[in-house]
Amino acid sequence: MELHRRCESNPKPSGETGGSSLFPKRPGIARAAAMQASPQCPTNLPQPSSEEVTSGADIISTVEFNHTGELLATGDKGGRVVIFQREPESKNEPYNQGEYNVYSTFQSHEPEFDYLKSLEIEEKINKIKWLPQQNAAHSLLSTNDKTIKLWKITERDKRPEGYNLKDEEGKLKDLSTVTSLQVPVLKPMDLMVEVTPRRIFANGHTYHVNSISVNSDCETYMSADDLRINLWHLAITDRSFNIVDIKPANMEDLTEVITASEFHPHHCNLFVYSSSKGSLRLCDMRASALCDKHSKLYEEPEDPSNRSFFSEIISSVSDVKFSHSGRYMLTRDYLTVKVWDLNMETKPVETYQVHDYLRSKLCSLYENDCIFDKFECAWNGSDSVIMTGAYNNFFRMFDRNTKRDVTLEASRESSKPRAVLKPRRVCVGGKRRKDDISVDSLDFTKKILHTAWHPTENIIAIAATNNLYIFQDKVNSEMH
Amino acid sequence: MEFKLEAHRIVSISLGKIYSARGQRGGLKLHKNLLVSLVLRSARQVYLSEPGCPPEPACGPPEEEPPPPGTAAWPAGEETTIPPPPQDEAARGGPRVPGAECQGPRPRRCCCGCSCCCAAAAGGEENRPDCATATGVAATLPPPHCPRKRSAGERVQAGSPVKKPRREVEEEPPPPPPDEQEDMETGNVASLISIFGSSFSGLLSKEPKGRRRPPLDGGESVAATSAEAAAEPGQICCDEPVLRTLNPWSTAIVAF
Repeated sequence: MELHRRCESNPKPSGETGGSSLFPKRPGIARAAAMQASPQCPTNLPQPSSEEVTSGADIISTVEFNHTGELLATGDKGGRVVIFQREPESKNEPYNQGEYNVYSTFQSHEPEFDYLKSLEIEEKINKIKWLPQQNAAHSLLSTNDKTIKLWKITERDKRPEGYNLKDEEGKLKDLSTVTSLQVPVLKPMDLMVEVTPRRIFANGHTYHVNSISVNSDCETYMSADDLRINLWHLAITDRSFNIVDIKPANMEDLTEVITASEFHPHHCNLFVYSSSKGSLRLCDMRASALCDKHSKLYEEPEDPSNRSFFSEIISSVSDVKFSHSGRYMLTRDYLTVKVWDLNMETKPVETYQVHDYLRSKLCSLYENDCIFDKFECAWNGSDSVIMTGAYNNFFRMFDRNTKRDVTLEASRESSKPRAVLKPRRVCVGGKRRKDDISVDSLDFTKKILHTAWHPTENIIAIAATNNLYIFQDKVNSEMH
Repeated sequence: MEFKLEAHRIVSISLGKIYSARGQRGGLKLHKNLLVSLVLRSARQVYLSEPGCPPEPACGPPEEEPPPPGTAAWPAGEETTIPPPPQDEAARGGPRVPGAECQGPRPRRCCCGCSCCCAAAAGGEENRPDCATATGVAATLPPPHCPRKRSAGERVQAGSPVKKPRREVEEEPPPPPPDEQEDMETGNVASLISIFGSSFSGLLSKEPKGRRRPPLDGGESVAATSAEAAAEPGQICCDEPVLRTLNPWSTAIVAF
């Protein structure tokens, strides 16, 4: 599959294609809780320059397509959510298969302070999950370390005019001036996108929330922190059910934590959660109220020849995703991605090496904290290709059928709009081809932790620190 | 030998991480600290099991931590640099021992292979941001003897990761390597015990020849924290000689 860069987050008014791929900074908009923004972003936003330094608050922390792929939401460290909307395909430009432009921006979470523990609660958005659309409005859940919020996104393109008692500015008229009655008329106006917080699910978690997942029943969702998983009803904020609790009675006995969790895409009673020890547990909520006992435990015995000081760290699962079919699960640990068949608990059916050349460098990666990086993974719409990020702004794709894999780079230098991405290669000694990168020259500060794949088409969103890249398959936009 | 060096290095690095985790925004990351403590423990095991381990030199006092207050067994004035703790256990509940306490350096002498100590310190006692010492890490140790700590906040319902790493390490004490390592182990372990107190009951049982000390109880069960008390049956006290045999890990600690 050839990919070329389609569009990037761009605060300029539509009409410009390509351009900078920088995730727009918008300090001006930053702090409003419910943002109203037109799809054409105001031009007074500062334009990022090429020399700008990565501002911490702009680092993208999560990326998620909605169920149709029309909308793409990103969350960042500053607690902001930016939603992109895909422009409808234009007949005039067959190549312009719908670019993503900024649709709405709002401040989802603010920093808070826990006075009891004297701790600051970060506003960084850990996860965003879209709810299936049930009416004209879109809804999504966003969460930071402690609080989950349900946001409703609506469009307004008409407004009533001709009130009897209010004037144009909304001030009450002097009744003596009202001599006749008129019926207010709806007049079209510039499209306005309104985002309002509908629910706030707070105080459910003692530890840091690492994942949320909406159930296929569209009524409930779960949120997982390091030691517990709670089940919420989307309409009820003052209580939740605890369905998994692995906190030992004596914290001294703690050996593993929950790292990620997800509901099965079709079976509303099944969910999976991964642990820091590299195991997956599939739980059935019909079995008991508290699903501490798993229905299935997926674990691969460790390869003793690979044992090192860091074996435990690199076996910790950083992300788990069900396939669209619901038959498989995809897990990411530090060096590999694995495909598990729900029917086989003893070992994964497929294992792909993401960057095995790092195995000999674990000590250095431990020193610079890179070994704790949590990479995500993604399936394509047909479950035939899996994707995950790596260092040096590289990301990898593995075709499960042909067993071929490719390494691509998300960077402005190496990709111009509509340019086809060139496969990259990391050489580990031995013969070195032109354009190969050696392991030692990899930039470990440039990591692609968050990636997302359009639910049906070959469009991917890659978050590289504070930049968002959207790539599309050039050949056709159909899934193959 | 190179394994030993690498292990030592890894322990130093781990200690640094635990130390720096104390002040980070958003509170301690339970997951990361758990992993760091696992590495710490592995490295410590390797270090201790490697032959040729140099005998533990008597560590200098500067970082000697004050004996837990209220620990009756602690001879007063034992520490040269730190004021002796009050013998009065009752005092625990109330006013802290001036200076010597939590706030001061609790330079927990991470003797024993640091891994444990430091891991413990790991948690980074959020409620003691002021405990910053040369051995930083140690300082963060929630002293079992810090009654105030032990109560409410500490046990963290909030899941203060603080506890976790410490426990984590403690709960699986490595089998004391035989013979020559024994002395070091003993010294280390004993020191560790002094730092972590009761949690070391498991370790104690593996202690060879009578380095055992009766768990000091009373003071510990700062009754207030029932859970705590349950979890940590008693305080172990170390006596003088043990303190002096604090180990070379101090170098690692000092670095921080």
